[in-house]
Amino acid sequence: MTPIARRYFIKNGFDGSMTILGIIVGSWIVGVTKPEIIVTAGLGACLAMGVSGLFGAFMTEKAERKRHLKTLEAAMLTDLRNSIHNKASEFVSVYAAFIDGASPVLTGVIALIPFILTLTGTFVIWDAYVVSFTLILATLFSLGLYLGRIAKENIWLYGVQTVAAGILIVAIVLLLGAI
Amino acid sequence: MIRRLVLDVLKPHKPDVIELSEALSKLDGIEGINIIIYEIDQQVENAKVIIVGNGIDFENIKKKIEEMGATIHSVDEVAAGKIIVEEVKTPQDRFARM
Repeated sequence: MTPIARRYFIKNGFDGSMTILGIIVGSWIVGVTKPEIIVTAGLGACLAMGVSGLFGAFMTEKAERKRHLKTLEAAMLTDLRNSIHNKASEFVSVYAAFIDGASPVLTGVIALIPFILTLTGTFVIWDAYVVSFTLILATLFSLGLYLGRIAKENIWLYGVQTVAAGILIVAIVLLLGAI
Repeated sequence: MIRRLVLDVLKPHKPDVIELSEALSKLDGIEGINIIIYEIDQQVENAKVIIVGNGIDFENIKKKIEEMGATIHSVDEVAAGKIIVEEVKTPQDRFARM
């Protein structure tokens, strides 16, 4: 995976997990017992994050690549429209957009799996909350481990940091719920 | 039939000389490539490209070089025919190569 794709994957994957974590903790506080509410709200959020990531990354990368190409054209005093630079620019924009759009959907859907299973009768809603929360922490921890591996530093420390961010969100939402 | 070409090429840093030489060496009629970078700027670099082969197609070379984002500044030497004729030193040429 290229550095750009890696950044987009981790950053937006993190966003996906955190968003669904917020929805789940909020739902638990107000005592939502209908899984379809959480699934619908969660999938809606996933869709929004996916589309936002897709278009946002595509437009951003396209603009950055165009700028880079124009700078190179000015230095070369030539038209690079038919060069591999232009083809690479277009490919990277689409590739980055796909990663940016798919990563929050992937991590978000992972967190929603227990509630989807509740719809089929496999889980009781309160178990789904616990399993989903565990899955989110595991996803955050995995993203942290991956970050640690990229940084070539202590992977466990990175894992603990990303999990701590998740726990912080839970604490804030619980505090807001208590008010 | 072109057997040797020496080109002065202006190219971006990427693709690098390894990629450029590999791309050029795959073209028909080419037996060997030598690329030397002799000047580097912030965005671009100048390269001396020496191509040897049996029946080098200049248009194909030009197309490939432009596809790689580079441009030919000048054609500095051409050797064509059944054998490669080397440059000869004469009293008039102070810089001739022997």
